[in-house]
Amino acid sequence: MTEITLANLMSPVAPTWCPGCGNFSILTALKQALVELGLKMEEVVLVFGIGCSGNTADFIKGYGFHALHGRGLANAIGIKLANHRQKVIMIGGDGDIYGEGLNHLVAACRGNHDLTALVFNNHRYSLTTGQTSPTSAKGTVSKSTPQGLIEDPIGALSIAVSNGAGFVARAYAGKLKQMVDLIKAGILYEGFSLIDVQQPCPSFNKEQDYAWYQANVFDLPADYDANNRGQALVTLLDQDKLGLGVLYRNDQHVAYHKEVPCLQNASLIEQFPKKTDLSKALVEFV
Amino acid sequence: MELEALNWKIAAKAGEGVMSSAKLFAKACKRQGLSVFNYYEYPSLIKGGLQSGQVTASLQGSTCQRRHLDLLILFHEKFIQDHLAEIDERTLIILNANAFDPSKYPDLKSKVVAINLTKIARDQGANPLAANIAALGISACLFEMDLQIIGRVVVEEFAKSKEAATANLKVLQAAFEIALSMVQQGNLQTFGKLISTGVDEQVLVSGNEAVGLGALAAGLQFYSAYPMTPATGLLHFLASKQDEYPLIVKHAEDEIGAINHALGASFAGVRAMTGSSGGGFALMVESLSFAGVAEIPLVVLEAVRQGPATGLPTWTSQGDLNFILGAGHGDFLRVILTPGDVYEHFNLSKLAVELAEKYQLPVLIMSDKYLLESNQTMPKPALLSENVRLSMVNNGQLGETALAEGEYLRYRASENGISLRSIPGQTNALQLTNSYEHDEYGFATEDAVTTKQAVDKRAAKLTSLQNDLPKPLYLGSPNPEKILISFGSTINVLRDVLLDEVASKAAVIHLPCVYPFPTSELETLLEGKNAEIFVLEGTATGQLAKLIQRETSLPKMHSILRYDGRPFYSEDILEFLQTGKISEQYKLI
Repeated sequence: MTEITLANLMSPVAPTWCPGCGNFSILTALKQALVELGLKMEEVVLVFGIGCSGNTADFIKGYGFHALHGRGLANAIGIKLANHRQKVIMIGGDGDIYGEGLNHLVAACRGNHDLTALVFNNHRYSLTTGQTSPTSAKGTVSKSTPQGLIEDPIGALSIAVSNGAGFVARAYAGKLKQMVDLIKAGILYEGFSLIDVQQPCPSFNKEQDYAWYQANVFDLPADYDANNRGQALVTLLDQDKLGLGVLYRNDQHVAYHKEVPCLQNASLIEQFPKKTDLSKALVEFV
Repeated sequence: MELEALNWKIAAKAGEGVMSSAKLFAKACKRQGLSVFNYYEYPSLIKGGLQSGQVTASLQGSTCQRRHLDLLILFHEKFIQDHLAEIDERTLIILNANAFDPSKYPDLKSKVVAINLTKIARDQGANPLAANIAALGISACLFEMDLQIIGRVVVEEFAKSKEAATANLKVLQAAFEIALSMVQQGNLQTFGKLISTGVDEQVLVSGNEAVGLGALAAGLQFYSAYPMTPATGLLHFLASKQDEYPLIVKHAEDEIGAINHALGASFAGVRAMTGSSGGGFALMVESLSFAGVAEIPLVVLEAVRQGPATGLPTWTSQGDLNFILGAGHGDFLRVILTPGDVYEHFNLSKLAVELAEKYQLPVLIMSDKYLLESNQTMPKPALLSENVRLSMVNNGQLGETALAEGEYLRYRASENGISLRSIPGQTNALQLTNSYEHDEYGFATEDAVTTKQAVDKRAAKLTSLQNDLPKPLYLGSPNPEKILISFGSTINVLRDVLLDEVASKAAVIHLPCVYPFPTSELETLLEGKNAEIFVLEGTATGQLAKLIQRETSLPKMHSILRYDGRPFYSEDILEFLQTGKISEQYKLI
């Protein structure tokens, strides 16, 4: 087994993101978190969505799975059920995970599958040159909404909290140390952890630049009780001021794979049937 | 008189126990050593409507339903009109009623005998729904069956409750006695004594169950699906086996989730499968394309029902052939298996799981409502099967590999297109499984040279793959006047056709695999044959005939099409062979 080090995580492919993109610091935070957790290279599966964030697939070494747009969490669930000893981390954007793949996000939450979803939330479809995303503010003018976006932004974190996700946090690409800590906590949490990372897109989201974020993010107060589901939902109702930190955490909610009878003693892959005896399955047909 | 064959049908409203009654009768016939086909028709609703269960059984081999009925058991008089085409003066109708007034039906040729089955059940202190068991008691008497055998079948059915088992057995016996006394009084006549060979070595399974058994035998460990008729039976069967096999069955949030769970599980190393009918499969096809480019082993059951759209949810069709051939964007290799009888469903399902892993591609099993939801006898398969990992690093073992650091490439170029697949947890075998076009490691690429190499690498699998595919089957006259070509379940009907002397100058070709198409095999089979060729298929537009035109240099063929949700009937094909004409429910081109 190979230790996770920054050198081992280094891909030969250089990132293709725009200068000033929040993705750089999120990738730095992810790598740092993996190193600090002391995991092995072979113990982690990174699942990627489609978008600027999904392109991270080429910029980090590891066991990677570059999925279709929106479907990564559905793949991650399958990966985890097949080999629950792996740490499975999904990296995708707000369009991928909150839009195209919303049904899979809800399924991951309801099952409290032991996965970590890292959402690079820049409020735009940037790889397709800047259309509005599910998290864009009402009124946003983009090439797909030249008359202004009519819909309200999605309450994705509220959906997660109200549907069973056991760990819901918000981070900001401008605060590296906090990001690292939240990613680590999310990976260590045994259940579904959703980490929404607010990030600027300097090319296609001029409204929400670093200065805007500095003015609109705040650290959750020290007396914030992350175990209080109601308080988390109330906090999340305010979509203008973005509280950073662990918004909700439920350590009583058992992860999906722990309730699957055949996974009690070994992972599914470890139980590959070299010999299959059909006798029992045939009884009802004789 | 010894009876070597019977054709039996029970019809009632949904919820009155037709399904289980017919299955128990089918099993009793199997236990007597006969070959059995057990076909169901039912509407897409839970209560009411008209449901029927049919059993054909014979010594020589019943491979499909037949139209002409010996015994028809009706729970409601109004259903007589629904079965006029299946009955004549040789048919006996048992009506679940106190009395029947034949003067209301001056044209009815069949004898109708009223027996209150519900009352028989009630008189034995059983649930009135046990009228369906009373129907079995009457039937057992009329075919002079071994009451012990059918009694054991009934007891096994209610194995979970001794009380229910005893009550139903009493109903069965009471009904048998009542019928027997009517026979003795001359009010009923038996059909003769159904032959009992004393050799019961077969199993009675549905197409769905056969697919499930085959997949289990091949070491399937993961099945994810969203319920949709007629694929739901496979979901139910596999779900019920999770306690006994190292298997996870996941009822997914939708079909897109289902196929992507399976892709994830397969990537992580377990043998995985999904299934649906046409509408659900339509939702999966983007992900099928992903399996193609990323070389992820995947088996998909496409359980065809009559479309388009919601169509006829509980009726059969083969109309998705073109869709399955073309499903998924981009050019990628796939296998489409089209098994005929349940035994072939078992064997090809097992093969599908192995081919998917060996060649790292999507393998589709195309079947239909007709066979997936019918029960049929087949030889008992080998109880023990050995499973070997195919085309995998370290034979799929987790942990240390013999690979040196930097040596492994997931999509390494190779002559036969197959590159060893690593799975998460193996050392020195990191890789990126990628939905983008990719280089040998898996990193995305848009380079023209790399792209062409990658496309060619995957396509190169075709040559060796073709050797592993099931070949067309030729049956019947070696010098035929007419040749009937079919794929999938239709062979069951054509086997029945070949039993008749009328078909002595006919031959049949069954295609168990339609893609990659068996071009040279089919051309060879037809070489030098001076026969009229007809392609029989459950499509409205002759999709199989057009595929044959596309893939072979054979001359244009005639088509016999059926697209009303119903299966082919051997009587109709025999009429066609004899007269050159066919019922208006078919289209002859």
